[in-house]
Amino acid sequence: MDYFRKMRGTTQSPPRVGAGEVAWSFAGAFVGIAAVGFLHAGLLDATGLGLLIGSFGATAVLVYGAIKSPLAQPRNVLFGHVLSALAGVAAQQALGEVVWLAAALAVASAIAIMHLTKTLHPPGGATALIAVIGGDSVHALGYLYALVPAGLGATVLLLVALIVNNIPKNRRYPEFWW
Amino acid sequence: MTRNAPTGPPGMSEEDILQAMRDMHGYVDVTPGDFREIYELAYAHARDRLARTTTAREIMTSPVHCLGLDMAASEAARFLAGRGVTGAPVLDGRGVVCGVVSEKDFLRRMGARGAPSLLGIVSRCLGTPGCLVTDLRGLTVAEFMTAPAVTATADITAEDISSLFMEKSINRLPICDADGRPLGIVTRTDLVRALQGQR
Repeated sequence: MDYFRKMRGTTQSPPRVGAGEVAWSFAGAFVGIAAVGFLHAGLLDATGLGLLIGSFGATAVLVYGAIKSPLAQPRNVLFGHVLSALAGVAAQQALGEVVWLAAALAVASAIAIMHLTKTLHPPGGATALIAVIGGDSVHALGYLYALVPAGLGATVLLLVALIVNNIPKNRRYPEFWW
Repeated sequence: MTRNAPTGPPGMSEEDILQAMRDMHGYVDVTPGDFREIYELAYAHARDRLARTTTAREIMTSPVHCLGLDMAASEAARFLAGRGVTGAPVLDGRGVVCGVVSEKDFLRRMGARGAPSLLGIVSRCLGTPGCLVTDLRGLTVAEFMTAPAVTATADITAEDISSLFMEKSINRLPICDADGRPLGIVTRTDLVRALQGQR
């Protein structure tokens, strides 16, 4: 009956963070997403390339809300998005006709690649998925999708994280670069 | 709800971990349970590493009080009692460790059977008229020491000392130079202290 006992859990949830932490998470996320959104509008007008994709909302949770997490470190943020985007585009191009299969392969291989390269970053899974389900405008980008929006957006969020997360005394970012 | 660690380092509760996580500010991306597991494993690794890399040179008590071969038992007893130790190496005429005298050797001479212990002697004393210590009168150290002595050089690791203690059922290990002259001694106390990371 070990199998069912395992479902009961073994520990309790971590404590709630203080108000200061909440405020700085809010501020970081606001500035970060605003920056990406601002560039999105500019880029979209000029070139037709968008920058604002859903997975950046998830990246914001990590790089502004859980900044100590290994999942939120620069290596993971940047390469997690880029490698997952490549996996997503490859899956889309190979199996795009069968959306469910391409989607599954995109996300699963993104996770595997991130694990193997020690760049696990959960929003990467969304980036891979969007490469498949993002519609014609995303498909038209081809492998450029890995650079814009994935790589560029991640870089902007990262820069804002570096700037904002190091302002308060008891916060620091990153824990490691490589 | 507080649960105490079942094993490992000094009874750290989950509440202690939660409090530490609060002290750290910011969101720490680990559950208290995972943290404790990491801590316990790391603690075990540190203990093993200390045992493997710590040598007698670092943990021995030095210099060591030594007895002479021709010392009388009474003199040896006074010598040990005076220094608050329960045993000491015995040196021959050239200053080389040739045996060890410990409480156990006294007890054995006083007629303790099996594993010599104070309580063994007490129980025997209570059933025997007279004084058991009398048996020791007139003996010299050479006659009742444990010989040859189990000794080691200063580069023996804490891990190996620990297995020697177990294997040979001894409580102290004289540490000698290449010529057998005493440099110091490692007792169980020294060993425990070393493995707790204290000097």
